[in-house]
Amino acid sequence: MSNSSLGAAAVALGTACALAGIVIVALGLAGRRPRWFADVVRLVTVMTAASVASVVIMERALITRDFTVAFVAENGSSRTPALFNVATLWSALEGSILLWTVILCGYVVAVVLKFRHRRDDPMVAWAFLTLFVVCSFFFLLMLGPAAPFGSFDPPVGYDGRGPNPLLQNHILMAFHPPVLYLGYVGFTVPFAFAISALVTGRVGEGWLLATRRWTVMAWGYLTLGIVLGAWWSYETLGWGGYWAWDPVENASFLPWLTGTAFLHSVMVQERRGMLRVWNLSLVIATFSLTILGTFITRSGVLQSVHAFVESGIGPAILGFFGLIVVVSLGLIAWRGDELRSPGRIDSPISREGAFLANNVLFAAFAFIVLLGTVFPLIVEAIDGRTISVGNPYFERMTMPVGFVLLFLMAIAPVLPWRKASTTVLSQRLIWPAWIGVGSMVFALVVGARGWAPMLAFGLGGFAGGAALRQVVLATRRQGWRGLVGRTNGGMIVHMGVVLIAIAFAASNAYVRQGEFTLQPGETVVFADHTLTYEGSDFVEYPNRSERTARVNIDGAKVYEPGIATYPFAGQTIGVPSVRSTPIDDIALSVLQFPEGIDDAVILRVTIQPLIIWLWIGGLVMAAGTVLAVVPGRRRQPTAPTSAPIVEEVMA
Amino acid sequence: MTESARSDTTRLALWTVLPVAVATALLLVLLATRSPGSERAVSSRLLGEVAPLIEGPTIEGDWFDIDDHRGQWVVVNFFSTTCVPCIQEHPELVNFQETHASVGDATVVSVSFDDQAANVIDFFAEHGGDWPVLVEDTGTFAVRYGVTGVPESYLVAPTGVVAAKLIGGITAAELDGRISGLIEAADA
Amino acid sequence: MSRNLVGWAAVFMVGASALIFAAVDSGGPVTNADRAYSLAKDFACPVCQGQSVAESDVPVARNIRREIRVWVDEGRTDGYIRDQLVSFYDEDIDYTPSASGITSLVWILPVVGAAGAGAGLVVVFRRWRLEGEQEASAADIALVAAARAEAEDRG
Repeated sequence: MSNSSLGAAAVALGTACALAGIVIVALGLAGRRPRWFADVVRLVTVMTAASVASVVIMERALITRDFTVAFVAENGSSRTPALFNVATLWSALEGSILLWTVILCGYVVAVVLKFRHRRDDPMVAWAFLTLFVVCSFFFLLMLGPAAPFGSFDPPVGYDGRGPNPLLQNHILMAFHPPVLYLGYVGFTVPFAFAISALVTGRVGEGWLLATRRWTVMAWGYLTLGIVLGAWWSYETLGWGGYWAWDPVENASFLPWLTGTAFLHSVMVQERRGMLRVWNLSLVIATFSLTILGTFITRSGVLQSVHAFVESGIGPAILGFFGLIVVVSLGLIAWRGDELRSPGRIDSPISREGAFLANNVLFAAFAFIVLLGTVFPLIVEAIDGRTISVGNPYFERMTMPVGFVLLFLMAIAPVLPWRKASTTVLSQRLIWPAWIGVGSMVFALVVGARGWAPMLAFGLGGFAGGAALRQVVLATRRQGWRGLVGRTNGGMIVHMGVVLIAIAFAASNAYVRQGEFTLQPGETVVFADHTLTYEGSDFVEYPNRSERTARVNIDGAKVYEPGIATYPFAGQTIGVPSVRSTPIDDIALSVLQFPEGIDDAVILRVTIQPLIIWLWIGGLVMAAGTVLAVVPGRRRQPTAPTSAPIVEEVMA
Repeated sequence: MTESARSDTTRLALWTVLPVAVATALLLVLLATRSPGSERAVSSRLLGEVAPLIEGPTIEGDWFDIDDHRGQWVVVNFFSTTCVPCIQEHPELVNFQETHASVGDATVVSVSFDDQAANVIDFFAEHGGDWPVLVEDTGTFAVRYGVTGVPESYLVAPTGVVAAKLIGGITAAELDGRISGLIEAADA
Repeated sequence: MSRNLVGWAAVFMVGASALIFAAVDSGGPVTNADRAYSLAKDFACPVCQGQSVAESDVPVARNIRREIRVWVDEGRTDGYIRDQLVSFYDEDIDYTPSASGITSLVWILPVVGAAGAGAGLVVVFRRWRLEGEQEASAADIALVAAARAEAEDRG
């Protein structure tokens, strides 16, 4: 049997299982099928097997260059290097939905394993129902508008164009999309439990405890995915930029913002039993935003460097987004009276007060990003003008929010729950404050100027100092256990955030860019660096030809930025070269090669300080997330009103 | 929970849910009714404005100034020697120029876009065309006309006002049609 | 306490002077190239999807960069350069939405929203404080006791 019919069969089988899952769980909930869970286990097994099979079949088709599969004919090529050939799966729409679905199935399997002992709990049943609905949606997408296994009749000697050159020239492309999807899809599980909490009316803390780690993990993957994406654009796009507030970047950032808000506010609910509606809404919003993000990436409504080719799946995704929102809002309105929080906050200057402020800020941040992203569409709909909302808007609007968040990051970790006295606060914060001031003075001495970056360094040092203080105290008390658990892991994550904030501020404020026309052998001095253009080379690869310029930086090492032509994809792209040190990065890209080999080259040089710390910060955040998932020391509830509902603790 | 507290919180829930629902519904309608970005037309603010200045040495060493051509229709053609539609439209421009050269009511000026002088000279030697061609420092003209890609042509009326913007390859018939249409509209 | 107070006063003094110094002393003149680059970042490349004039490599963006540099060398103001580019291309070349007319909403709405949320928080805290301390009911205490016992059993 051919790959395309096998693949189509696997997709059809998966769809049938997902749809059957909805029916079985519904029957189980109606009491008509007492042993529904056993059926679910079987269905999930078959569904996952089918999904894995569909991915394996597609990869086999890609690796064997089976051009009878339309997806391979359109996106594959015999000249694509092996690694990127495997990664071709997620370089186009249909394959990316395959990947999405297989990850989703993986999460569903994990839910089955985790909750197999709670099969009699209606909350688990409703969560499965939600999960099957989401699975069905993605399988149906593959059955209809995004069918990956269309067949193609290749003429003799046919070879494909291969994936977009930008997607096959850097190793990060092999990791960024799967990691990002692990994050996106991971939020399905907390969403399913939020919905089931609303339906069953058990809106207490039970669903939170059930999904706490899932949320943290999904958040960690999303964080890492975003950082890897920024790294990829920095290394491949050649303008020394890593974050451009592009619609697709914003689409991945929005669920991160609401997810981060949730990770903080959830602690208020666990400890004090408050903010129930808010937490449910945040989980639902995060999941909805991943779907909205998928729409933005896939529909072509908003212009973006990252967008896929326009496709017909836009309306389907939009419809699904609408369904999620209608169902969720309906449930929240219906359960409104039971969502009343039993607790209250005694003082704004307390841990929970700080979390509340944190949430207002993250909500504002998300609102700014969402509004800025869709605003051109709004204006166009109202009076037909086309406008742009870009970097200057997002920077100006989010900078104050970022500053206040950094400040909160400094004081919140040392704040006690319920109520804080200023004496305690001033004792705990004096050393972090000195670290903040110290970093400002240090920055001044090494030549940093401007109030905005200086404020970022100061607040960053303050926040980093506070996180450090917590970790030091915890490890002093508990040894290595002071590094694990949610609170301590969270402090490590904070340190990663501080690194990114400082690197972001410094690279934005002190970036220098210049364009130079250099003859072979000519040297230019730019921002205290010496660059010598030594000459150019020409190299042929199976999938491309590359013309590179040899540029010697500071007389130490030769870097070779170039321009690559992918004749079969009909595209020419720049191949930047970056010299990284902990102090600064020099990104080189060739704007134009001369006609003759001995003529001048036009070189773009971007020098930015501290870039490397963005990636280090991202890795620190990921490491902190892993530490946070490791069980730490258990805590007792502090206030009577925050006690979890008994039934759920036992469950 | 007392009855009043219950109705209070229900009302509160409704009040918070409603605005969110309305906002999301609007967003949905908005996203559902937008056409994909790539289908939006390129507009020009130049229409009806005095044509921006184009002056400079031609490849033949003469001096060109668009203001010297008041009283004549001028087709300002931005092109590049490597662009396929430019090569395709070139015979049409030659055709157009030859028909109008004798009458003197219209002419063409070509402005190279991101190209090198040698290539442009070869191009005209190969494909023909006997009208002013500008190569040196043409980037500034392209910016002033808001050129986004090649080929792109502007029809400048005898009054010196930009009358039409034509994106992509053009034909002599299309140009003549535009001109006669504009003359009729002006007469009416 | 008083020693602490001195410490904080010192922190604020040093921090504020560092901030003021960094704000006042610009650290050398801004070159024309730097000014042109930072301007180019504020405009959208007309034919690219989601890249600024500073970032893109396409000829249009290169032309505009060169033009911006010419204006900067002529000593034109940012406003002049913006108006020129908007009149040559269109309003959507400008990444900064105008602060007048309907586009001003993009600036105003978040501020209004944040202010509203802040005011809401203040009101809620007020009300909580006025309600005074809440006593745990017998049922609450029983719940906690049960939960603790459960947690210890598992512990």
